[in-house]
Amino acid sequence: MKKSNSLTVPLRIAVISLVVCGLLFPGVVTGIAQLAMPVQANGSLISFHNTTIGSSLIAQDFNYSGFFQPRNDSASGLDPDITVQNATVQAARIHNVTGIPMAYLEGIIKENTKYTLFFFGSTYVNVLDLNLILAQHFPLIYNRYIV
Amino acid sequence: MDSEAHFAVTKFKTSKPKLYKLAILKDSVRRLSPTVLYKNVVMFIVEICFVIVAVMAIDPSLIPEVSSSTDVSFYIEVAVILLLTVWFSTLSDSIAEAQIKNTASTLRKIEKEVPARKIVSQDRREIAEVTSKQLKKGDLLLIKKGEIVPIDCEVLEGIAMVDESLLTGESVNVRKSVGTTVLGGSLITSDSIIARVSVNPSETFLNRLIKLVESSSRPKTPNERAVSILLAGFTAIFSIIIISILALGVILKLGLDLSVLIALYVSLLPTTIGALLPAIGISGINRMSEKRIIIKSGKAIEAAGDTDSLLLDKTGTITRGTRTATEFIPLGKHTMRDVGEAAFMSSWDDDTPEGKSMVELAYQEGFVPHEFAVIERVKFEEFSASTRKSGANLQEPSDFFLPKGGKGLLQHKRIRRKYDPDSKEDEIDIIKGAPDAIKLATKTVPLNYDNIVDEAAKTGDTIMAIAEGGEIIGLIRLRDEVKPGIKSRIAAIKNMGIKPVMITGDIEATASSISREVGIDDYVSRAKPETKYDLVKKEQARGRIVAMIGDGTNDAPALAASDVGIAMASGTEPAKEAANMVDLESNPAKIIDVVMMGKQILMTRGAVTTFSIANDVAKYFVIVPVMFTAVALSSLSKLNLLHLTPHVAVLSALIFNALIIPFLIPLALRGAEFKPQSAMRIFLKNVFVYGLGGVILPFAGIAAIAFVIVHFGVI
Amino acid sequence: MITASAAFIIVLELGSVVVGGWFLSSYLLSVYSTRKTRLDRIFGPIERSIYYLGGVNPYEEMGWKAYLRAILALNVVEAAIGFVILLIQGSLPLNPMHAPDMSWSLSLNTALSFSSNTDLQHYNGGTALSYLSQMAVIQFLQFTSAATGLCVAIAIFRGLTGKTKGLGNFYVDYTRTIVRVLVPLSGVAALILIFLGVPQSLSGYSVFKTLELGGSEVVKSGPIASLVSIMQLGTNGGGYFGANAANPLTNPSQITNLFELALMMLIPTSLPFLFGRMLGRMKEGRTLIVASYALYIIDIFIAFIPITQIGEGMEVRFGAASSVFWTVTTTAFTTGSVNASLSAFNPLIILAALFGMIIQATPGGIGVGAMYMLMYIIMTVFIVGLMAGRTPEYLGTKINAGDVKLAIVAFLSHPVIILVPTVITFAIGAQAAVGLGTNSISFTQILYEYTSAAANNGSDFLGSAGNTVYFNVSTGIVMWLGRFIPIAVMLAIAGSMVQRKRYASEALRTDTLTFTAVLVVAIFILAVLTFFPFLAIGPILSYLEGFKNGF
Repeated sequence: MKKSNSLTVPLRIAVISLVVCGLLFPGVVTGIAQLAMPVQANGSLISFHNTTIGSSLIAQDFNYSGFFQPRNDSASGLDPDITVQNATVQAARIHNVTGIPMAYLEGIIKENTKYTLFFFGSTYVNVLDLNLILAQHFPLIYNRYIV
Repeated sequence: MDSEAHFAVTKFKTSKPKLYKLAILKDSVRRLSPTVLYKNVVMFIVEICFVIVAVMAIDPSLIPEVSSSTDVSFYIEVAVILLLTVWFSTLSDSIAEAQIKNTASTLRKIEKEVPARKIVSQDRREIAEVTSKQLKKGDLLLIKKGEIVPIDCEVLEGIAMVDESLLTGESVNVRKSVGTTVLGGSLITSDSIIARVSVNPSETFLNRLIKLVESSSRPKTPNERAVSILLAGFTAIFSIIIISILALGVILKLGLDLSVLIALYVSLLPTTIGALLPAIGISGINRMSEKRIIIKSGKAIEAAGDTDSLLLDKTGTITRGTRTATEFIPLGKHTMRDVGEAAFMSSWDDDTPEGKSMVELAYQEGFVPHEFAVIERVKFEEFSASTRKSGANLQEPSDFFLPKGGKGLLQHKRIRRKYDPDSKEDEIDIIKGAPDAIKLATKTVPLNYDNIVDEAAKTGDTIMAIAEGGEIIGLIRLRDEVKPGIKSRIAAIKNMGIKPVMITGDIEATASSISREVGIDDYVSRAKPETKYDLVKKEQARGRIVAMIGDGTNDAPALAASDVGIAMASGTEPAKEAANMVDLESNPAKIIDVVMMGKQILMTRGAVTTFSIANDVAKYFVIVPVMFTAVALSSLSKLNLLHLTPHVAVLSALIFNALIIPFLIPLALRGAEFKPQSAMRIFLKNVFVYGLGGVILPFAGIAAIAFVIVHFGVI
Repeated sequence: MITASAAFIIVLELGSVVVGGWFLSSYLLSVYSTRKTRLDRIFGPIERSIYYLGGVNPYEEMGWKAYLRAILALNVVEAAIGFVILLIQGSLPLNPMHAPDMSWSLSLNTALSFSSNTDLQHYNGGTALSYLSQMAVIQFLQFTSAATGLCVAIAIFRGLTGKTKGLGNFYVDYTRTIVRVLVPLSGVAALILIFLGVPQSLSGYSVFKTLELGGSEVVKSGPIASLVSIMQLGTNGGGYFGANAANPLTNPSQITNLFELALMMLIPTSLPFLFGRMLGRMKEGRTLIVASYALYIIDIFIAFIPITQIGEGMEVRFGAASSVFWTVTTTAFTTGSVNASLSAFNPLIILAALFGMIIQATPGGIGVGAMYMLMYIIMTVFIVGLMAGRTPEYLGTKINAGDVKLAIVAFLSHPVIILVPTVITFAIGAQAAVGLGTNSISFTQILYEYTSAAANNGSDFLGSAGNTVYFNVSTGIVMWLGRFIPIAVMLAIAGSMVQRKRYASEALRTDTLTFTAVLVVAIFILAVLTFFPFLAIGPILSYLEGFKNGF
């Protein structure tokens, strides 16, 4: 029985693996993704008034104290969410700055509350979601601060 | 001559050595020398630790980084306990060695120098008086009744009864005929023989066996070797751990004391099994030797414990090997008494075991002819293989006795003769033997004789017919009786998951009946000598480990092929050479003990290993929380479950570690308790006792020792 | 404290993975046997062309030495390719963000790390790597190291089951692993991840003006999904970004979080079942799966002892329970991807993480987890098996002194390659270079670094701070030793057992729950015995000193 040549075989197999796993595989997956799921494949970008304002997945910076603000300490530094508790604290500040009624703010927080374990676990809200609602419903207050 | 004979029959008994006699103590101290101890890695390391702590005790400031204690007495105490630990280990070795030397010397007593009668001339007339040590292989000897066989030899002429009790401890006379081997040290109790010396005195079989037993360069068994490797591995792991802690302790300034670290090290090392491992092996061989089983290879002991299939000869192992009468079956108009009395009378002069058993049975049943004492036994025809029958010719005394109440056959005859004086039947001919042979030799055969005989034989028993005066009067049922207790031992074997296989030359019916009676599922009937070998091979091909016992030359190939082959000392030389164990008692049923002892040795080793490793958990929890004395680390004291101060904790753990060795020496010497159960049950029980117990006991033990130290100020 | 809802999710997750693993094992059996399947029509030509191009004789049967030689040769070549690409990535194509060349020590560390299935990252992937490096080094080595691990398990299974002459042919096993298992499974997984929001593109990072006037953000898109899928499926753990699976682009939601967890658990969970199938005795496989999951669940319980609340270092969308669950799982399966910063956790959670990496079989990484479990079984059978009164046997073969010696070497190598470099680090004061002192917290971090490297896990505290020549080289060596010493030793055991005589009866039944319980206790004691003093002056001390999350 012929033995596999122990010198060249590893080299050849390594190069084949490189091509198959390192180039063909991501290439093909990218191709399929761009054709079939372009929105997700390109980072789930969202628009506001027909302008792309970034990815819905990652946190955006908000400096104006009338906006809900993301956490700036978290594992990834891109955490788009805050806890409901945090949002409620911020709502008081927003109410003071903008005069938007507390009841309204608490209302949108409640409507947008998500759970960490599907229907259980701790509750949180997406910062951008809340700010988009605010910007949309209170243009008089926010138009100066947005694109 | 008489005095020797008297000496010779002195009962052979192993006396237990006095365990703590001076010689043993001396030997155990001698073994403390590093030049001897280095073979035991674990204990050697403990000794090195002793030296280090001893140096610290002399000058604590020598290594200031790791000697926090200003209390020299603490170092002295640690050093003393370490030395004691090593000494307990060497002590167990010394005791085990003393035991086996003791056993060997008792065995050696068998081979005393005894006088011998050497035949020096061709015509065998000239005889020289010599001693056994002067004999050479090939010499011819004359051995008479009452004399001790001077050396192993082969019978050339004559038949004699031989008492081998000196060798075997059991006082049973064995019949030795031409071609068989008689062992040196056995006693001739009847007749005399001419025999040829089969070995030189220094190489007698026994001599070689004893050398094996007491050989100090006993090779380790495969398993013992594997355990040693495991222990070396654990030693390596703990060494790395301790060195790492030492380095970290110094670098991170954890407030470490070297003696405490050494105490942890020694506590963690598998000292218990390390100390007792040699003793367990030696005492295992010793226990076998005490049972008169000599191990020729260490591997065989373990294979014995691993046995899956046990090949048992029916005759001698399962049954007594002799047929015993169990029932008289009358035929036709005859009664049981007729048959019994006829059997009694015809067998009176019959010396075969069968004949004796008939007399015995008839006697028990009360079938003794009343006037038997006066009946003249004219002639007795011994059983012959060609005619397959034996017979007796009886004649009544001339003077007439009144009947005194006997109701049997004789009575009838007598009455008949009384009223029929012309009768010529003054003689009574009784023949007995194989049913078909008797049928041919008689005139009157009962109706359906063949069918009745066949029916009776269905149980696997041997059936004999008995005829009187030319008429078949009945049948006698003979059974090869099962040895007492064999049934429960077979059950024990099966409980352990071992398959017993019975081998017999008997016909199918006999084989199946006996095997059913004792609870054996597999048997081979009508076995030929080579069947055993085939069977061993067949079982092995199925992935089984086979143990067997054998004595004849025919058995040699099977003995050699089997994983555990036990030869009888009374067996032939080739069989003994082929086997890996020899049973001096020549008791085939002992194979079961061998299996159990093999298991026990393995089990003891495993139990102490597990116990030793399980102990470490407690020792960790006692020492680690108090080990790092730096202030910042005092938080660890929350783990100090027993709330001991550092010195008390360390000393208690060390003392426990040392004391557990002598505490377990008896276990090592006599082996872990063994009951024949399924392996899983044995395992489960041992896991609880030695595993779980090994985790819990040290907590209790260390707490108790600490209590004694604190409250009685012992140290 | 574990809440009912968290327990429910965990049970659901574990349950689905076990069921999935059971089904997968049936497929794997067909992959690694010679029997024909319908899929041969698709995969056969691909494999044959790989054999042809590679110069492989697929009919050659290898003994353990040949198998090991092939593994080492291939892995050396592959690591070398990765090393060279990283070293010169700045001047290679597919580098739209102009990532610079890596230093030699970081290239070495990264190549050794990914080729050993460790994926310890002393760099931040989002900025330090080109697309080419992400694909042709990171993703390539994630495939090959996972394939190597799986092949090792298969070869060892063959050795222990003893139904073949040798251990198989490494190149054939490797090719079939990639073609029939890893590429299809991670392809499907990648598409699911993309569907769930993980990006997959090659068009560079894009900058957008954000909602608030004057704000902007960089969306670091790239071939993320394809990498994340094999990183989890192959228990690699090296993330696309520094933040790994905490980054919303690699793990956008609770669902992707659970899906990615399931991916890393899937193959290690299926291997015990595969072992049972190869043996034809599912109960022997049950012993492996029950023991490893029992240890895993003990691990989970330890991690849930302290009350963890969402806080610094954790992602809000996962919540505390999922973060703790992930951290235990990623170490129990020695994957090493993290969805929260380790510094966020109570020392007891770190202790639980260390347990997973100390034992390495809870159920451990792809292929090697099952291998370590078999090592523990051999050791346990030997230690306690004698107590059944027979020479210990496993699967009908007697365990001899040689096996014990080899198993001890495999077991011993782990503490050695962890403790020696840990001690050296403090001895030369190298911890100061990464801002650490000599307290229990610092000690825990260094101990964790080498434990993670030795266990081929890859999670760590140091991250890109660990990019010093000392840590790059020392962890690099530890990763390869931790990878290939046990593999070599266990292949040797398998190689010696494959042709060994099989006995019909076994005294100690290893397919019983009794034995499984003893095995779990034995593994725990062996691990405790080895590492207890170091855990005591590390995370246990930190915990007792009252650190809640002081790392």
